[in-house]
Amino acid sequence: MPTLTTSGRAPRPRPAPGRVLRNTVLVVTSLIWALPTWLLLVNALVPAADYSGEPHWWPQGFGLFDNISQAWTQAELGPAMGNSLLYAVTSATAAILVATMAAFATVIMPVKRKTLWFWLIYSGTLLPLQVFLRPLFLAYAGTGLYDAQFGLFLVYVAIAVPFAYFIMRNFALTLAPEIIEAARMDGASWWRIFWQIHVPLSWSAMVAAFVFQFVAVWNDLLFGITLSTSSNIRPVMAALAELQGNYSSVGPPVVLGGALLVSLPTVVLFFSAQRFFVSSLRLHG
Amino acid sequence: MSSSVEQRRPSPPRPSARPDRRPGRPADRRRGPRQAGSRLAGAGFLAPAVLFVGALLLLPFATTIHRSFFDDRRVSGFAGLDNYTLFLNDPTLVRSVQNTLMWVVGSVALPMVLGLAIAVLTHSGGWSRMARLLVVLPYALSGSAVAVVWNFVLTTDGAANQALRAFGLDSFAQGWLLEWPGNTLVMIIANTWQAAGVAVILFLVGLQTIPPETLEAAALDGAAGWRKFWYVVLPQLRTVSVIVVGTSLVGGLKSFDLIWVLTQGGPGRQSETLAVSMYQETFLALHPGAGAAVAVVLTAIVLLTSWLYLRRQLTPKGT
Repeated sequence: MPTLTTSGRAPRPRPAPGRVLRNTVLVVTSLIWALPTWLLLVNALVPAADYSGEPHWWPQGFGLFDNISQAWTQAELGPAMGNSLLYAVTSATAAILVATMAAFATVIMPVKRKTLWFWLIYSGTLLPLQVFLRPLFLAYAGTGLYDAQFGLFLVYVAIAVPFAYFIMRNFALTLAPEIIEAARMDGASWWRIFWQIHVPLSWSAMVAAFVFQFVAVWNDLLFGITLSTSSNIRPVMAALAELQGNYSSVGPPVVLGGALLVSLPTVVLFFSAQRFFVSSLRLHG
Repeated sequence: MSSSVEQRRPSPPRPSARPDRRPGRPADRRRGPRQAGSRLAGAGFLAPAVLFVGALLLLPFATTIHRSFFDDRRVSGFAGLDNYTLFLNDPTLVRSVQNTLMWVVGSVALPMVLGLAIAVLTHSGGWSRMARLLVVLPYALSGSAVAVVWNFVLTTDGAANQALRAFGLDSFAQGWLLEWPGNTLVMIIANTWQAAGVAVILFLVGLQTIPPETLEAAALDGAAGWRKFWYVVLPQLRTVSVIVVGTSLVGGLKSFDLIWVLTQGGPGRQSETLAVSMYQETFLALHPGAGAAVAVVLTAIVLLTSWLYLRRQLTPKGT
């Protein structure tokens, strides 16, 4: 009992029966969890022509690239992925910039009514998207922004700003004020301080916010189906939803291949930037 | 003067952020033209964010609230609360509310319990990292892709029914997505498959913040296994649990993609939640007033739950 040289973090090995039970639970849980992913991979591999109407549980043949290319043409995934890439990169970049400026203003600059501005901007992330849909739809229809790339860009920026602002503001609060003070004493303009001091210092948080917003825009379905309709404007999830709608005619391997393809960018991003995700989640919480 | 007071206020929204920064930044003490210039510059830095949020989010929000008090006749007139009474007498919306409640319970309880269990079981590292990875992976997928995968499992000639038949359980094979309340329940399970990953990550973060001394002290007192978990570890996870409940709850309430791609709320609008009903009423049934009322009610619920868990973190701001 007294020899407790535990690291403290990890629970010490328990008596054998407990450990066996624990490992069994873990293995069973993770196998159940992996099953849908496994079925996705296996059946996306089955050549569409060989698919007999019964799900496969083991790989058979290799038709992945054919399936993907069929999905690519059937649902016009190519332009859709190009659009989503465009929307995700441009609107996330713009939103991070706008949010960083606002964070700079409300944390570092002598602006009045900081609490009011905080809530005004932050409130956007609390509201469900449904509440914006119809007014945006009508306004877009009236101004030619409906079914236009610029219209989707604008709405994705607006959706991304509140949470990006939250991240950037929390980060700005951790910066040492002395540097800014010194720059002010030297007579630097706010504009210069922002670009030459604040942005370089905030770089890591900006990247984290960017990754988060990129994924959010890439995964969006609701605005895609509400504010666009043509296949050369709509984002990728709208195209995937349409492909799913043709499930019985194109066949499961093609639909699954399409789902796999459109998920790759975010899955890769997620695992290469896992650290950022965790930090943004912490900031969110 | 007021600005310097405001700046001195300890303002980090998260008490745990960096306490050493609390003493605050010295206020800009200068007065005169320089100060006025800073004000103007500050407005310039704030304007883009305020414009985007104001014009594209808050203005539509206000418009939706306004619209919810007008009826859906050809010449729309003031309807008072008529659109809101639909929640009491329109069978579709009543069903939608029932489904939303099921989603709320299911999307909180399942990720919470499973997320905590998996985080605790895989906390020690080693090969269990692999298990954790498998559980977190679906979180990287979009709601639409998750729906595609689960449609493949749940459709009538899908993998679930095939597996049941293979085990001789033909009588259990059924149209999973075709009958209420089964379709809502299986979609909650699909949602859990995706959403538990966040809970796992958050609980792991929470487990790492438990001071080693606490665990050592507990061990010295002879606490181990279940007792240690129940009386020592769990109370330390209270803050994280609140966050997990809050994010799962809001996520469940806002869940649209999964339901839309799997069932479009059908068949017969039986598997809708409020998030889907709003879309159906507004854009397909062409009842914008009813749709607006649904959106407002959904917003009220989301704001209320968000407030319940954000309160903790944002109160130091003293709004």
